[in-house]
Amino acid sequence: MADLGKLALAIALILAAYSIFANVYGARRNSPDFLASARHAIWAMCAMVTIAMAALWNGLLTSDFTLDYVASHSSTTLPTIYKITSLWGGQEGSLLFWSWLLTIFTSIAAFQNRRRNPEIAPYALAVMAVVAIFFLAMLNFVTRPFSPISPVPVEGADLNPLLQNYWMAIHPPSLYTGYVSSTAPFAFGAAALITGKLDDAWIRATRRWAIFSWFFLTLGNLFGARWAYEVLGWGGYWAWDPVENAAFMPWLVMTAYLHSVMIQERKDMLKVWNLALIGLAFALTIFGTFLTRSGVISSVHSFTQSGLGPYFLSFLIVVVIAYTALLIFRSGVLRSPAEIESYLSREAAFLFNNLVLVGIAFAVFWGTIFPVLSEAVRGVKITVGPPFFNKVNGPLALGLIFLMGVGPLIAWRRSTPANLARNFAIPLILGIATGAIVFLEGVRQWYALSGFSLAAFVAGTIIVEFARGIGARRHLAGETAARATANLIAKNNRRYGGYIIHVGVIVAFAGIIGSAFFKIDVKKSVRAGESFAVGPYSIHYLKLEESADAHIESAIAQVEVTRGDEEVALMTPGRVFYKRPQQPATKVAIRSTPLSDLYVVLAGFDEDTNTATFEVFLTPLVFWLWAGGLLMAIGTVIVMWPNVRERAAIAAALGRTAEDQIATEPAPGGQ
Amino acid sequence: MTLRARLRPVQFLVWAVLTACALILVEYSYSRQASAGERLTVARITEGLTCQCGCGLTVSNCNHPTCGFAVPLRDDIDKMIAKGMSADQITAFYRRKYGEKILSAPTTEGFNLLAWIMPFAAIIAGGGLIALRLGRWRTAPVQEAEQIVPLFDDDLRRRLESDLKDGL
Repeated sequence: MADLGKLALAIALILAAYSIFANVYGARRNSPDFLASARHAIWAMCAMVTIAMAALWNGLLTSDFTLDYVASHSSTTLPTIYKITSLWGGQEGSLLFWSWLLTIFTSIAAFQNRRRNPEIAPYALAVMAVVAIFFLAMLNFVTRPFSPISPVPVEGADLNPLLQNYWMAIHPPSLYTGYVSSTAPFAFGAAALITGKLDDAWIRATRRWAIFSWFFLTLGNLFGARWAYEVLGWGGYWAWDPVENAAFMPWLVMTAYLHSVMIQERKDMLKVWNLALIGLAFALTIFGTFLTRSGVISSVHSFTQSGLGPYFLSFLIVVVIAYTALLIFRSGVLRSPAEIESYLSREAAFLFNNLVLVGIAFAVFWGTIFPVLSEAVRGVKITVGPPFFNKVNGPLALGLIFLMGVGPLIAWRRSTPANLARNFAIPLILGIATGAIVFLEGVRQWYALSGFSLAAFVAGTIIVEFARGIGARRHLAGETAARATANLIAKNNRRYGGYIIHVGVIVAFAGIIGSAFFKIDVKKSVRAGESFAVGPYSIHYLKLEESADAHIESAIAQVEVTRGDEEVALMTPGRVFYKRPQQPATKVAIRSTPLSDLYVVLAGFDEDTNTATFEVFLTPLVFWLWAGGLLMAIGTVIVMWPNVRERAAIAAALGRTAEDQIATEPAPGGQ
Repeated sequence: MTLRARLRPVQFLVWAVLTACALILVEYSYSRQASAGERLTVARITEGLTCQCGCGLTVSNCNHPTCGFAVPLRDDIDKMIAKGMSADQITAFYRRKYGEKILSAPTTEGFNLLAWIMPFAAIIAGGGLIALRLGRWRTAPVQEAEQIVPLFDDDLRRRLESDLKDGL
């Protein structure tokens, strides 16, 4: 199977190169045969990479230790689910997984555009294939997943214990899906620049791709945060680690893009800006991969230093220079005749929203690379960690939340003061009242107070928006409140799905404020039978139970949690020792409620004295971070849901072109 | 008569925003006082120090239960606090011992100042560019007199009417 995998990767590389030629030649010569052939090559390329994936999975599942990758990232005792997930637990496997996703998405784009967008699609597919060539070349020549090992070990080194967690089954695939799917809008943007077809056809062709990418970037970041929360055992979920930052930056830029693209769709403005944003989002995904794999910056996530850095950096530089050159070359025809007439307009609000989002992305980028810069300029190694990012991004986040409330309720083109007062009176009162209530409750941190006030302000704007929409439907159509709500969302899914995403963001934001400012941390050593207090809870250490199997040894403490006289939970934090890599890990016990999470870590134990040391965190509102994430996911699904009216509008807009194309192009697969 | 009816809309907005700002300022000054009197804890100091075990986290957050760096450091800091040392003294002690790399944020002096300034400078520059551009857009003559796009209610009303006409 390993030889088959190797062969499949080599063929995939050839097919990628051929598809570029066939697409470009077919487009230039207007040859349907070549374009069809290019599509077939793309689909065959995807099939080849799928075979390579199957070959590596086969090696992992059968513990084929003749393969270096399997011997380094698996073992005979590793549970089957982690044998499957170990495919993306190491350098070569994760690159193969990336390439697989890329070829799948390229195939889907080829299928979607077999009759659509005849002028830009071949070039877009060629750009996607260029990206595929880079990754396939890495797999064929630099970091080979099917390299043999000699002598063949009897047992594998096992998967990193931190990766033996169910969140690792879904966090990397989600994040990679988000990263890789951003290639599609980037490629269509590049194709629009190459061909000079700079209307918004490329945006229409890739709107769902962009939302899809954003959706998975959101999930990937949230799953990663949840993984850190459950596995790393320090009571937090976000450490501003360089690799976390690398995943966060494309999300920020993609968020900016999804907002500014609305201005182009509606007002035919910001063409250069939108093309720049999508190029930046893609470049940041490559930058993230470079960070993870170059060893330039130390990170808890980094793969071992592999020598891949220069290749990724070169690719990144080529992408940035080529794309910037195209943007400059086409800048003359990208100017928009439309104008922004007022600061008090939705266009202006969206522009400032973009400024803050990209500003935060820049702050994160700057903080991430500053240690490298400092070492290069001063020769002094420094660290840029959470205090920096929190101080810089904290005020910017408040500004962003404020704009999130302003944007949707302000009118296109120009608002009058009367309109503003009418739209914002209730949200402002709600925000100020919330601040006052939280203040009276004893909260004194200005950031927390401002954050809760702004969250309430944004909630107010969304409530006003929904209330008016529902009221109008009830008035005009005589619908019940429930039906009017359902119809309002269903008929205007982009708009109201977007509001649900905003609700998710502010709910998550409230969770972040609560968990960041009001966390209680108690560390205590107690003998079995003794208790200690954490906030309103009493933690009673009962006993320690040890067990072992072929894979791990574990020590699990039993802890009874009471509040007053009431027993609220029996928790089992523990320590796990992985035999093969000889590494300890933490098994955290979490009791989650909407008000607070009780997070218990067994920090150490001494069997001789029957003593255990616990670190306990009582973290308010962190539940709402995950709940907000769920709401964001639901909102995004609603936004992506096919809308009959929108389809009709797009079909009408594309009608002429599509009819012409259908008339001239053979059926898929036909000659 | 309601408050909104008594005040003109602009006045209402201005007062609302000013009230919000005043509230934030009062809260900010309270919070400054609160943090000045806040009890010095190991966690507060170790948040500002980076663990040198390779975890990439702060000493406060290092996830290795038996970390050879973070665990003894936390104990030492506990003893320093008990001796009456201030947060600045403790941080300065570790900076002398391990160099700047132990600080989890750049200092605010010399080249490091760039780390703090650049993000805000970039945003201010970007904001300035937008303001300039907006100014140019606003002064440019409008090609044709158009009715200002109606606000939310009318917009929504049109869409709803269209929905209903389509039988959706």
